[in-house]
Amino acid sequence: MPREIAQLLLNGLMAGTILAVPAIGFTAIYAVLRFPNFAIAAHLTIGAFAGWLANVSLGLPAALAVGVAFVVAGLAGVLNDELILKPLRPAGALTTAIAAVALTLVLENVVRFVFGNDLRGYDLPIRRDWQAAGLRIAPQQVHNFVIAVVAMAAVFLFLAFTRTGKAMRAVADNPMLASVKGIDADRVARLTNFVAMGLAGVGGVLVGLDTSIDPLTGFRVILSVFAAAVVGGLGSIPGAVVGALTIGVGEELSLLVLAPAYRTVVGFAAILVVLTLRPRGILGERAY
Amino acid sequence: MSALLAVEGVVAGYSPSDEILKGVDLAVDSGEIVSVIGPNGAGKSTLLKVVAGLLRPHRGRVRLGEAALEGKPAREVSALGVAFVPQEHNVFPSLTVRENLEMGGYVDPRAARRRIDEIFVRFPALADKRRHAARTLSGGQRQMLAMAMALMVAPVLLLLDEPSAGLAPRAAEQLFDTVVAVNGDGVAIVMVEQNALEALAIARRGYILVDGRNSKSGPAAELARDPDVRRIFLGG
Repeated sequence: MPREIAQLLLNGLMAGTILAVPAIGFTAIYAVLRFPNFAIAAHLTIGAFAGWLANVSLGLPAALAVGVAFVVAGLAGVLNDELILKPLRPAGALTTAIAAVALTLVLENVVRFVFGNDLRGYDLPIRRDWQAAGLRIAPQQVHNFVIAVVAMAAVFLFLAFTRTGKAMRAVADNPMLASVKGIDADRVARLTNFVAMGLAGVGGVLVGLDTSIDPLTGFRVILSVFAAAVVGGLGSIPGAVVGALTIGVGEELSLLVLAPAYRTVVGFAAILVVLTLRPRGILGERAY
Repeated sequence: MSALLAVEGVVAGYSPSDEILKGVDLAVDSGEIVSVIGPNGAGKSTLLKVVAGLLRPHRGRVRLGEAALEGKPAREVSALGVAFVPQEHNVFPSLTVRENLEMGGYVDPRAARRRIDEIFVRFPALADKRRHAARTLSGGQRQMLAMAMALMVAPVLLLLDEPSAGLAPRAAEQLFDTVVAVNGDGVAIVMVEQNALEALAIARRGYILVDGRNSKSGPAAELARDPDVRRIFLGG
């Protein structure tokens, strides 16, 4: 039993790290634009397919496919926001969030129209799992873990040390003051969308490298992404990481008592518990 | 000499039918401190927001030297050398003190790097806290940071919205000393204050707003002695 729990913890840590990448994107958009952009689901799918094309059709290695997914999903995110969500923002966060759900349905169906419903896998070498102290881990899991950690580190460095990254944090803190200081909020919003949706795209590739992809890939993980962001504290980027690890580990540990098909209940339960007991999340500054 | 800032007949509010300011005039010469006092709801903060470009007036003119400000967004007004320090939410709480100053000088990052060192000399308390998040500062330190952020762009005109609100008397006194010191460098200051006596004590001229209109104006010392002013605003 302790070994089984340790294995689930290890798997949960790996899954949580992958989940953290799109969760950072979700929470970053919330921090800057103040609405939950559920369209991150569709951009995760778009990134997964862009990465798949790069990997399988163009023969690029997985690491380069991640880069392609980031750029394609990021650009799609900017375009979709400019054309569809931005004009709706003056109508309020709820209207924009509903439009984002509708946008996700439309985009997923566009992906379905182009690629069909089949499950697709990335072109990966088949390798034996590594074993140590009775625990098993697939080399691909480690690979994905490294990609996720590098992506997160890049985001943290960007936000902490670049002028533009600091401007993004400033707009997230106080948009009115940011405009008084000469920060172009529109430019910051576009950049946030690019980075956030790009991260969703990277998340899509990581899901694809871990399992397989289809047009509903994003839809299946959005609940966990949302739960991670809420648990960590909506708008807090370190919170999204903590939340994602919590959800990842929680979902794996739930397998001790639940059939795998029911593990999404962990996300629902986590959202309920957090909103009831600590609405601002683990690391959030504000209650919403 | 023409005024540095000239506000003429400004009518403004937060919706098309809303008139908080009902035709306000204000003139500020280069290098002077002008205090605007008045009861709650008189429109003092609204007036500063109009000048700062955060609120477009329904009617009236706002000029900085030869440049028309009315209708310009805050970003462009700031680029012309007008720095606005809001009463609340005037720092970025999750950014460090140093990062706040960098954002204060966002429009000119090269000059900002040089200016941060000067700011730390003027505000040693901020220098000690440079790596601390702004949310950890005391009320007085936060107001100092807000003013220091405004000074990062070497403004010609500083707009202060109730800088002493919520401060302990000692911190308020320090803050007014800083306002005088900043003005000593040639920066013109418009200060909106509830703390009328102190505001008039450091100002050259004063304006009194009541219900969105100019009530009285003149040299600050005269206003401070005016029996009507003392009765209405100063409690005696």
